[in-house]
Amino acid sequence: MALHPSALRDLQAIVGRDSVVHQRHDLVIFERDANIEGALPDAVVFASSTADVAAVMKVAAQHGLPVVPRGAGTGLSGGAVTVHGGIALSVSRMRRIDIDPRGQTALVEPGVVNADLTVEAGNHGLFYAPDPSSQKACTIGGNAAENSGGPHCLYYGVTTNHILGMEVVFADGTVTWVGGDAADRVGLDLCGILVGSEGTLCAITKVLVRLLPQPEQITTLMAAFPTIETASHAVSDVIGHGIVPAALEMMDRVTVGAVEAHYKAGYPTDAGAVLLVEVDGLEEQNRELSEAIRKILTDNEATDLRVAADPAERELLWAGRKGAIGALGRIKPNYYLHDGVVPRTRLPEVLHRVSEIGEEYKLPVANVFHAGDGNLHPNILFDLRDKGALERVEEAGEHMLRTCIDVGGTLTGEHGIGLEKQAFMHWIYSDDDLDAMRTVKKVIDPEHRMNPGKIFPEESRKQHKLVARTGATSEAKWW
Amino acid sequence: MVVTRAGGELSVDGMTPRVRERPDTPEELAQLLGAAAAAGQAVVAIGGGRALGMGDCLSRFDLGLETTGLDRIIQHSQADLTLVVEAGVTLEQLNEQLERAGQFLPLDPFASPGHTIGGLLATGWSGPRRLRYGTPRDFLIGLRVALPDGRLVRSGGYVVKNVSGYDLNKLHLGALGSLGVIVEAAFKLFPRPLAEATVQTREPDLEAAWREARRALELKLPPTALELESSGESGFRLTARIEGTGDAVARVRRELGWEAAGDGFWDAYCQQTASTWARVSVAPIRLVEVLRQLPQAARWFAHAGNGVVHWFDGEAAAMRDVREVAERMGGALVLLAAPPELKRQLGAFGRDPSGIELMRGLKAAFDPRGVMSPGRYVV
Repeated sequence: MALHPSALRDLQAIVGRDSVVHQRHDLVIFERDANIEGALPDAVVFASSTADVAAVMKVAAQHGLPVVPRGAGTGLSGGAVTVHGGIALSVSRMRRIDIDPRGQTALVEPGVVNADLTVEAGNHGLFYAPDPSSQKACTIGGNAAENSGGPHCLYYGVTTNHILGMEVVFADGTVTWVGGDAADRVGLDLCGILVGSEGTLCAITKVLVRLLPQPEQITTLMAAFPTIETASHAVSDVIGHGIVPAALEMMDRVTVGAVEAHYKAGYPTDAGAVLLVEVDGLEEQNRELSEAIRKILTDNEATDLRVAADPAERELLWAGRKGAIGALGRIKPNYYLHDGVVPRTRLPEVLHRVSEIGEEYKLPVANVFHAGDGNLHPNILFDLRDKGALERVEEAGEHMLRTCIDVGGTLTGEHGIGLEKQAFMHWIYSDDDLDAMRTVKKVIDPEHRMNPGKIFPEESRKQHKLVARTGATSEAKWW
Repeated sequence: MVVTRAGGELSVDGMTPRVRERPDTPEELAQLLGAAAAAGQAVVAIGGGRALGMGDCLSRFDLGLETTGLDRIIQHSQADLTLVVEAGVTLEQLNEQLERAGQFLPLDPFASPGHTIGGLLATGWSGPRRLRYGTPRDFLIGLRVALPDGRLVRSGGYVVKNVSGYDLNKLHLGALGSLGVIVEAAFKLFPRPLAEATVQTREPDLEAAWREARRALELKLPPTALELESSGESGFRLTARIEGTGDAVARVRRELGWEAAGDGFWDAYCQQTASTWARVSVAPIRLVEVLRQLPQAARWFAHAGNGVVHWFDGEAAAMRDVREVAERMGGALVLLAAPPELKRQLGAFGRDPSGIELMRGLKAAFDPRGVMSPGRYVV
């Protein structure tokens, strides 16, 4: 659906003609995020300031247009996809970072790339803890909207634990501050509700984040295990000993093979699973903890136990882990990444079931995940050109998620519900539970124009899928 | 005293409910709440009664809905470090169970013992250990709440990482029962530290004490709690809790150079309470600016790394001045307890927060008849 000429003129008047994309052939690249589904927006508007965002929201209100905020488009659950058309509001040009080294906070614009904030904070001996694997590309605005996680969230907590306040713009163009740098705030915790609301309640224009002092020392251990089960037991055993490392990450044999071929990180390719364990803190603490961890891992049949000798080796070990998904392209051209969470102790049986499901559907599955949190990421590998492949992938993925729910887990630990999992929300929430969420939606976005068609289960969901599948990039054979 | 429960009497700000109920199950509680709300009756949830003095004076009080009958520990998944409990369980009951597993819930509020989990979540109270562990905002993973329309709803879940749908746990945390009654909560737990120590020092004046506090906070392994108190003639007392591995704790003790504190320090510390009690919060780095404004003889206890000071027995005029200072910095002064006349004079919360219209919108949507603790909170 083309934009009404007067709406287009109004948008161009705010940000300039060059900052509004509206030709079909240009819109195509904004059809998707990192999820598999897509739909064309009517226009993409590049905002440079809060004032721009507020003005765009007002124009959208006048013309009754949906608005979908967009950061780097790295989201995995379809959160940035304009299912109902309307305006994709890009904040990628809003990139200012203002660090307060004394107060250990940073006020950042939503388009700031996560890794850029880490670099800036590092100049002051500080760091920003949440570190999604896409941190080289993903934005803080997107992280806040999705409440993203990352390997180091095991000890440090996820995005919401590090956001002190935000400047947000609601659908009617109202600009409001929520939260702030003082603790124990008066009033309902709007900031806490808006973080993780996946763009369905507001656009985010500034984020006040907490920074932490860099640890004195970081120690990274790598251990190989004969099987995923033995590695999982080792993980539980470490935590059972009262040790919560900064990160506890696992990769299975399939992943290790692909990663090692690409990164040469030194992972043993004959292992059933590779575990990365990181502790950070005082030298004394790291020494004591890594000794204790070594013993626990060895008792759990670890082989090839190695400590990164220097920062370069540590970087390499992490580069492999964080680049794992990309490396899987060596096996198949497409992947479908899931994000279930289970109680940590249920990991072995759930992973066993995941592998059975892969076999049932004749699809290779590569596992790379946050073992300490019980947050698993099965990657189903496939080739979109194979007839019926996507349908099989989706069905297999649905079974894997169902397995997580059946052991008391949840649908998503850090990627969000988006388009991807809205149909499964009934698995974990009753109608009444969802109604409470809808009540919040109604109060904050009464016209239902902020990122419509996400999170909540929709009757017409299957139809959207078809529309999305026949979108422009599919026609263009995007692989 | 604001609250008296002697001989079964219960009053809040001098008001006595017409009816009191003590349901045994969440379902029963929800039913009682729904019926009362439908009849337009004003309902106040009551847990341990430790924080009933918080907030503005109630405008009406028909039903006192006690949660202490909901006293089951539903599930403690020791190896997963998670816990599900009913709202009426007391912190002491809970920690006794957790201690056997070498775990704990890092809540150590003032006015202990006797707090219920539901009460702590509704009031948003926490204590010294928030410096390391944060507040329930950081470790609450699931909630079950009875709404005024009689429905029971859940938010979050039972796993430590979860972004499925809106984070409605946050809606009820610290909302002082203005939107519903918390009946069940799920938490992420923490293993007991491998080693710990509590050390103290005194400084003759505030500036020296603040400098010493900053030094402690800037250590490579900062304390997990750091309390700064006005302790009258003997000067300002600083107490730090250090947690970590044995060698790490030993090194921090050396670097701090403070004296060991007596056994049971924290238990005694957290028992402190007052009938006039203000909590001031500002950005952590600016706390000293508030401390400088407190009257010479004032009795106060500050979470020195969090920007929070608890001030006991303040005078109305002084509290008004300090509130102004705190609000100018983007902070607040909140009355956690006060005689009704003082609350009416000062107001429990001060200036309306940013976003108040939306907060009122949420209140009206969840509690359209305005029956949940009417008049008590900012919404």
